[in-house]
Amino acid sequence: MIAIGRRSAVALAVSGVIGLAAFTWPLFVAPSSDIAHAGDAPWTFALLLPLVLAVVLAELSERGMDSKAIAMLGVLSALGAAIRPLGAGTAGVETIFFLMVLSGRVFGPGFGFVLGNTTLFASALLTGGVGPWLPYQMLGAAWVALGAGLLPQWRGKAEIALLALYGVVSSLAYGFLLNLSFWPFAVGEGTSVSFDPNASAGTNLLRLLAFTLATSLGWDLGRAVTTALLVVVTGPVLLRTLRRASRKASFTSAQIIDGK
Amino acid sequence: MRLHSGAWWLWALGLATAASRTTNPLMLGLILAVAGVVVVTCRATTPWAGTYGVFLKFGLLVIALRVLLHVFLGGVAGPTTLFTLPQAPLPHWAQGIRIGGPVTAEGLVFALYQGLLLATILSCVGAANALANPKRLLRSLPAALYEVSVAVVVALTVAPQLVASARSVRRARQLRGDTARGARAIRTMLVPVLEDALERSLVLAASMDSRGYGRTAGISKRDRVLTGALVLAGLFGFCIGMYGLLADAYSGWPLLVVGAVLAIAGLRVGARRVPRTRYRPDRWTVKAAGVALSGIAGAVVLVFSGDPALSPTTVPLQAPEFPVLPALAVLVALLPVVIVREA
Repeated sequence: MIAIGRRSAVALAVSGVIGLAAFTWPLFVAPSSDIAHAGDAPWTFALLLPLVLAVVLAELSERGMDSKAIAMLGVLSALGAAIRPLGAGTAGVETIFFLMVLSGRVFGPGFGFVLGNTTLFASALLTGGVGPWLPYQMLGAAWVALGAGLLPQWRGKAEIALLALYGVVSSLAYGFLLNLSFWPFAVGEGTSVSFDPNASAGTNLLRLLAFTLATSLGWDLGRAVTTALLVVVTGPVLLRTLRRASRKASFTSAQIIDGK
Repeated sequence: MRLHSGAWWLWALGLATAASRTTNPLMLGLILAVAGVVVVTCRATTPWAGTYGVFLKFGLLVIALRVLLHVFLGGVAGPTTLFTLPQAPLPHWAQGIRIGGPVTAEGLVFALYQGLLLATILSCVGAANALANPKRLLRSLPAALYEVSVAVVVALTVAPQLVASARSVRRARQLRGDTARGARAIRTMLVPVLEDALERSLVLAASMDSRGYGRTAGISKRDRVLTGALVLAGLFGFCIGMYGLLADAYSGWPLLVVGAVLAIAGLRVGARRVPRTRYRPDRWTVKAAGVALSGIAGAVVLVFSGDPALSPTTVPLQAPEFPVLPALAVLVALLPVVIVREA
């Protein structure tokens, strides 16, 4: 529905590199770097990432985002934002991922990337949750939905199994990456699971795993299980419904009017 | 009176930056108090005005988490040991991670200071969420993101309608005597609601088409190439700048700034394809600028002030002193109370 041209592909790839650096910086930052200390790095990236996201989204919408794609994006983001509070607060029940995985699968990677961004942005605006974590969440969710669009085109039970497996892997990766980006900031210095800019990447990874084990592993596992369960339970019906909608929406009137 | 949403965000980011430069509990308490006073006096009766309380509770949670981590997973060593927890033996490869062990007063105070710092920053972000109208914030997005911002506007409008749709589906089910629960209920509820929503989106798309939405004024080939070149150069600038910053091989800041300038220029040129005017745009009035500057003043003073009282030492324990000049600069952030009252 939203085509990825050559230029958008390059922009997406470069933004992917920037995003990966913004998520994983604690593992390979030089100890002498300006931003290795005092929790400055998350703030720097929280200011940088919105600009990167804006540029990539502008590139993606530069050619062809017709009103049907916009309306579909709006309605699916609304659905995601509406069902997100259902699970918030109850240990790790995350009801937003399965919808993005299924939509990304049906409408393609470009649509998925934009949908991940708009869903989390709309949700943050509705609940008043705008903060330095929002760009990270948007980027992470956008990748999850984009990845779902790139999976091999199997059909039937194999497809549901593939999507459920992808749901588990992507939610775990999402939790791990978000942890990684905010871990130096959230724990601070001084504990034995804190980020230590002078230590090697391996030591820091071990400390991060200990931190994850002590705090957020329950949530991450909860998210993975919820996503997989919802994909299995609702997947067959939702995929059919979404595919029907995508077929209905694929009429083209604009080309005839413009005479192209 | 409507202030530009960006003014409140700049004010709050200024306060948050100021907070991030000090661990002095007196200063942090002052910043918390300033943000609280401004929120209480300046917020309008809006649905999102209540989010401030949620952020404050979140801040308390963060302080508790920090202290608990320090107690159970080791911490700052110091001469004053309060009590000693039994220590769990861990294998050699655990690389210095320890569970239990002595808990020092110095470590606890250090954890409290750090937790208070994070809670203060959170309260500043919460203040911005409570004061700035999120829907007006959406209007300040760059014009090149026109399509995406329309999609978000659609999402914000449709979300309440979905709740009504879900309610009517449930009533229809109950009238038919269908009382499915659990997994089956998800399917029997979700599918009709989704069908309804997708149907709605097609109707919406048709009516948007007929009103001329989604149409772009063709952009000249030169502008398109220029946009692409600027945007890609900006992104590559970010990449190289970030590498310099993280690897400390060279100073990355100038490259980051150049990248940002190029990317913004690319967004500007790309916006030529959507020549739209805005109905009642938010303007940067003198008052909005005053609000923004009052918050930034504190940040500027605290970033460049070398006052040692800003970061009191915890080993050995010392009573924090009160830095006078930075405190006065933070008090400037109270100006919005006067500015908004006048109007």
